[in-house]
Amino acid sequence: MIFQRNAPKIVEESNEPEVSERTHQHVQDEVETVVGPSVNVEGDFASEGNIVVKGTVSGSVFTSKHLTVEMGAKIIANVRAGSATIAGEVKGNMKVKESLELVSTSRVVGDIDVKNLKVESGALLYGKITMPGIESGEKSIKTKLFKKTEETGVQFVS
Amino acid sequence: MYVYIYDNFLRQKNFLSLIHSMEVVLTDYGIAGKILRLQNYTDSKAVIDDEIKRGAKTIVIVGNDSTFGQILSRSANCNCTFGFLPVGPNNTIAEVLGIPVGMEACTVLSRRRKEFLDVGWMNNRYFVSQLRVMPSKLEVVYDERFKVTATEKMEVIVCNLQPFFWKKDKKDKEQRVVHPQDGKLEAFIRPLTKSGWWGYKYEEPSIFPFEEMIITGKEPFAVEADGKMSKEIKVKIKLAHSKVEMIVGRDRKF
Repeated sequence: MIFQRNAPKIVEESNEPEVSERTHQHVQDEVETVVGPSVNVEGDFASEGNIVVKGTVSGSVFTSKHLTVEMGAKIIANVRAGSATIAGEVKGNMKVKESLELVSTSRVVGDIDVKNLKVESGALLYGKITMPGIESGEKSIKTKLFKKTEETGVQFVS
Repeated sequence: MYVYIYDNFLRQKNFLSLIHSMEVVLTDYGIAGKILRLQNYTDSKAVIDDEIKRGAKTIVIVGNDSTFGQILSRSANCNCTFGFLPVGPNNTIAEVLGIPVGMEACTVLSRRRKEFLDVGWMNNRYFVSQLRVMPSKLEVVYDERFKVTATEKMEVIVCNLQPFFWKKDKKDKEQRVVHPQDGKLEAFIRPLTKSGWWGYKYEEPSIFPFEEMIITGKEPFAVEADGKMSKEIKVKIKLAHSKVEMIVGRDRKF
């Protein structure tokens, strides 16, 4: 405690732009949860707003909004999010409602259930990817376009 | 009926002229009232309860952030409307409430735009501005759902009305500000990591909005709530919704 540095002094803040809408819902939208580096979170980690992970999270992660996993961050948990950008490591199944972006530095081990997926070259991914909309289409493609024959295996039918 | 509680530092000569002109403006508006002076050992709750019994409807705090904290931490559950006239330096809460520092605050007070404010509850008392747990080995449990730990010591700052100011390190010239939002308390966790032989370095803070939090330490740790220090081994922090009725300005930040 003797050698601990002093806390930063409180200084008068600069003028912030005025918030026009003061509804409770509007305020909730801006709530952001940040897990800083060298911080470990264990348990059911849930937030109403955006989540930014720079440290380690284990258990489960849930947000209805955006999840950002920064480079060097580690998530050992099942993830459910509205949308996500992954630049770190994720070990666990991911269920993303809208779009998921895997940046070149990302490492994902687990199944992914997503609507829109963007994978940058260099990203490492091990798992099954499921996208809604393909299950219903899959049957029609099989019945209309492909017919299994004994000689060729698959034959195209126009 | 209005009752004004002046902080002790307002006796200083450099505030006398401002206080005098404020009193003139308040008389012009017809909202002048009884003036009480806050001493170090004044129990604000007893004083305010006494004044309410005598018919006071509005209690106006005159001073800075520490005056605001000192009075409201004790008397948040008093059945009256609170006003605030910020005077002098260290007035960060006033900006959140949309009350200008100095003479213009009298105009805001006279307009009587009232809002209910949330207050923080720590073990057995309220805090309105900020709660700070000094760096020590801690374990923080949020809303009984998840646990936050750090390898070394960590500092916890819980903001209710007072914004949180921080810098990345000593060389960082940019002053970063995070404004707390109404409806939730905001906890800033700053772990300390060893830097060199003797020093410690603050890491980037983690931000968690929450409604209930339990901080436990293996050893007793120092807690500062609204400028009041105490040593605790377990702290339970909760949010008391719409506890204080407050006169606020149009430019408030919530």
